[in-house]
Amino acid sequence: MIAPELKQKLSAIVGAEDVTEDEGVLSSWRSGGAVAGGEPAALVRPSSTAEVRALLKLAREEKLNLVFSSSAPPRLRGDSVPAGEGIMVDMSKMDRIVRLDRRNKVALIEPGVTFERLIPEADAAGLKVLMPLRPKRGKSVLASALEREPIIIPKYHWDMTDPMLCTELVFGSGDLFRTGSAAGPGSLEQQWAAGGAQKNPMGPAQTDFVRVVQGAQGTMAAVTWCTLKLEVKPTIHRIWFVPDRKLSRLSEFTYRSLRPKLADEWLILNSYALAALISEKGGEEVDALAQRQAPWTAVYGVSGYEYLPQERVAYQERDLARHAQAAGVVPSPEVAGCSWKGMERILSSPSPEPYYKTAPRGDFLDLFFLSTLDRVPAFLEIMEAEAERFSYPAQRIGAYIQPIQQGRNVHVEFTLYFRPADREMAQALFLSASRALSEAGAFFSRPYGPWAELAYARCPDTVAALRKVKAILDPDHVLNRGKLCFEAREVV
Amino acid sequence: MSETAAKTFGTISEEAYRDLEEAVGPENASREPGVLDGYAWQPTNNDHPTERWVKRPVAVVLPGSTAEVQAVVRACNRHGLKFKAFSTGWGVWCGPTYDNVVQVDLRRMNRILEIDEKNMYAVVEPYAIAAQIQAEVMKKGLNLHIHGSGPNCSPLASATSGWGVGHDSIYMSYSPRNVLGAEWVLPDGEVLRLGAPGSGLGWFSGDGPGPSLRGVMRGSAGALSGLGIFTKCALKLYNWPGPPRIETEGCLLDARSEIPENMGFYLCAFPDRASFLEAVLKMGEAEIGYNALRTATAAYLNVMTPRLFKRLTDTKAIRDLMGKTLEYTIMMVLAANSREELDYQAGSLLSIVEDAGGIALDMSTQKPFVRMALMGFVRATIPALVFRIGGSFNTALDRNDALDTQENWRDACLAIKEEWISKGGILDDMGDNPYYVPYENNMWAHCEVVYQFDHRKPEHRAALEPIFLDFTIAALEQCMEPMFSSDPRVRAIIGPLAGGFNRWQREVSKALDPGEAADSTLYCGEGAFDLSAVDGAKVKRLNELIEKLKPEA
Ligand SMILES: Cc1cc2nc3c(=O)[nH]c(=O)nc-3n(C[C@H](O)[C@H](O)[C@H](O)COP(=O)(O)OP(=O)(O)OC[C@H]3O[C@@H](n4cnc5c(N)ncnc54)[C@H](O)[C@@H]3O)c2cc1C
Repeated sequence: MIAPELKQKLSAIVGAEDVTEDEGVLSSWRSGGAVAGGEPAALVRPSSTAEVRALLKLAREEKLNLVFSSSAPPRLRGDSVPAGEGIMVDMSKMDRIVRLDRRNKVALIEPGVTFERLIPEADAAGLKVLMPLRPKRGKSVLASALEREPIIIPKYHWDMTDPMLCTELVFGSGDLFRTGSAAGPGSLEQQWAAGGAQKNPMGPAQTDFVRVVQGAQGTMAAVTWCTLKLEVKPTIHRIWFVPDRKLSRLSEFTYRSLRPKLADEWLILNSYALAALISEKGGEEVDALAQRQAPWTAVYGVSGYEYLPQERVAYQERDLARHAQAAGVVPSPEVAGCSWKGMERILSSPSPEPYYKTAPRGDFLDLFFLSTLDRVPAFLEIMEAEAERFSYPAQRIGAYIQPIQQGRNVHVEFTLYFRPADREMAQALFLSASRALSEAGAFFSRPYGPWAELAYARCPDTVAALRKVKAILDPDHVLNRGKLCFEAREVV
Repeated sequence: MSETAAKTFGTISEEAYRDLEEAVGPENASREPGVLDGYAWQPTNNDHPTERWVKRPVAVVLPGSTAEVQAVVRACNRHGLKFKAFSTGWGVWCGPTYDNVVQVDLRRMNRILEIDEKNMYAVVEPYAIAAQIQAEVMKKGLNLHIHGSGPNCSPLASATSGWGVGHDSIYMSYSPRNVLGAEWVLPDGEVLRLGAPGSGLGWFSGDGPGPSLRGVMRGSAGALSGLGIFTKCALKLYNWPGPPRIETEGCLLDARSEIPENMGFYLCAFPDRASFLEAVLKMGEAEIGYNALRTATAAYLNVMTPRLFKRLTDTKAIRDLMGKTLEYTIMMVLAANSREELDYQAGSLLSIVEDAGGIALDMSTQKPFVRMALMGFVRATIPALVFRIGGSFNTALDRNDALDTQENWRDACLAIKEEWISKGGILDDMGDNPYYVPYENNMWAHCEVVYQFDHRKPEHRAALEPIFLDFTIAALEQCMEPMFSSDPRVRAIIGPLAGGFNRWQREVSKALDPGEAADSTLYCGEGAFDLSAVDGAKVKRLNELIEKLKPEA
């Protein structure tokens, strides 16, 4: 509940119909991932950048805590669950695909654009959206890129900002700022008239504020649009599976193949993560399907484009076969329960509802961090030992390894699947394993919820510098208060 | 030495100098005028209208470790001095802009600290030069991005603090996009390590936890030492399908290298702008190319045979051939891991060129040329020859974006250059002299246009500032915040039109540098063009553009 005067002020900005205190609407922000205890007091739905700026201005005057959110529920990470009381700013009404530019392979989108909206439009223009693995339905494309969710085609992940290019930001201070080549001079229309396409993610000048805003969980600025790099849609596309008993062989195959930028999609899954991904029915079927898989499976895609597509696919498949042979693994067009066509569909579309990770047991927790591929076995051992301590069956840990930055490092994701009644146990395991993994060198580069404390305890110098930047961009701490390292909690 | 240079002398107190000696050892500090003058002579891209001197530092120190760099920076803070870093020192940007600057020459920090072959990165110090790193990593089948100023430069300096475009950018990106972590001595002397190394977890990722401070470290240009000194950084390495060592005899234009079998060299020429652009876009989409460089055909002669070039430009038929017939060309160097891949790359390149109505010359059949030029491409040895024709040069850097914008920039610069060539303000290089590369399979592109001059000629010196203003006006015409906005004069004009970046940079500087110890003119200084000798119509246009492009309140 908020004071009537405040409600009036919010209504004056976004319109009374876009301010609500309805618990049915607010409840999704009470908890998410490993985060609980959110107290969303009201929700506003701005429909323009001007309204967002006005909200920020009001927030500074009234010392509000604004928590921006763009995607539909469920809340998977807890970043938009307020730490204590907060006013939710739901950006999903700003949902225009402002521009889709085939020549320059770029889209300009607002926060409310979801994968299921963008994919068909890009497809019709001959373009492909760079996807994370099976995002939930209703997931904002902008928010996904903003949170540095890994994309599944490592060769297109040149740097951590990808696939996000330019952005329009409203800093916590209320100032408007555009990053990259969108910065201007000139309005977007003037830039388009001059041939500009907002393709260059860097700058303006000698800062890259887009990097500061990415991974910030909405603590530095609100993003009102972004440009997103797209790639050409292949004319031929095939998927291969490489099942194997040993992760070490698949790692070897991955290193050999990614170095020369072979293949498009590339990911590694353990049997349970693969089963959860391909299962159509969920529940018991996942366990049964998992038992029919090899302990580990690499999945990769090969594409041909406009010119000599057959030749491209042929050389890639030959080179990949050579690497497979050297690593002692064998590619196959199918695995139990999934053909390559089926996997192609899975990799190019969002999850059906309910979100696929809830299908095996009804609830789940993701535990993810960055590292290098050669260090993954050590983390696996820790995760399994932790599971054993909590009597969680090791065979039901999902493991997903996503090479990023063209194979220079990996996103490692462990998923715990459990019945809602077992949440307490799962959460205890999750916390204990997070701590153990952090101690063993897991880099929580996207430190949601309890990971913030673990991650920032390791880097006091980074904390000191981040706080200086926060003081510039959000001097009154009106953005997602209590997250990351900015308030209250003393860093040891 | 000129009078102006003499006026720029500052001095250092005994106490301050003693502190510097203590920081680095007496043998690694100097205030000898002769030594200091060596640092004050900066011919590259120095558009000072009267001469080539920059301000003389009050002392120079050669730290050998991060701790020594910290001690120097702290001494500067204590004594009201400023510091300016110098890695390989290739340009006026590393010279002092105040009278009380300590030049921090990092040449003792020249090690390659780690090469992680599997995860494809190297951790290097500031004076590990590109040639040195490349020679080491090639032994492991890897390569690094070398920006166009060449193998003698510091990849760390460009990646953390400068720019970083090179003709391998199609395959190996732009220097700052290759940073996986950095060690940074802040202007108050504290050390900050970015990303995973900041948590003691290795050098594999430079972003986070949470917001990435790489975004404060730099933007499309670096802070040019205005925000501290970088002492280590991890750089991405890339695949090198060639031999562990390129066997080469001789150097530069006398070089004869063994050409690896799995490389291809194609000079592609197109009938017009539209066909050129179409073809380059398609090349990007086909994901081919290891090096890609568009320069004017004349530019090859200009740097390789400057005297002959000067004579040839008087011949109309040759001017037409190089300037018009071969106006739209791009050099594509292919490198592949297998015969089949090379066939695919070459086959698609030839089809693209043919479809666009162009011609592709297979230069690998021109053995003497490719044997000479191989290192020019793979190790970027050739660009430094740009000094030959006039002794100095400058470059019109634009805002990198979609390919079309780069072509527009080339056209605009060509018109400006033609005006100044005809007025005798710069050398006649036939006008068209771009250094033009696509990045990351042509995700976006870069075009700068080089202009050469002889700084002994008063008319050339006098033209430098007005030409620079012309390029600034051209950038505004095209809604560009050019990469030379690190210049205080440009920053003052363009900053307020582009989100007030000048204001935000001042804020960052204030937050990180409370003691104002960094020489930060190139990060947040603001100045004004001397408009007194500028054509009135141009000044009017400048003001109109500023008005037109003003952001809405
Ligand atoms: C012939 C020629 C061709 C060129 N071509 C290109 C090109 O193709 N692409 C391109 O990007 N540039 C080009 N340049 C410009 C080039 O970027 C710079 O000359 C080059 O980066 C200079 O870098 P350096 O490695 O010698 O470093 P320096 O000159 O030592 O440093 C460059 C700047 O960074 C600062 N700096 C250096 N080291 C540090 C440090 N450790 N910490 C903090 N600040 C530091 C310096 O103060 C200076 O401002 C060219 C220059 C020349 C002369």
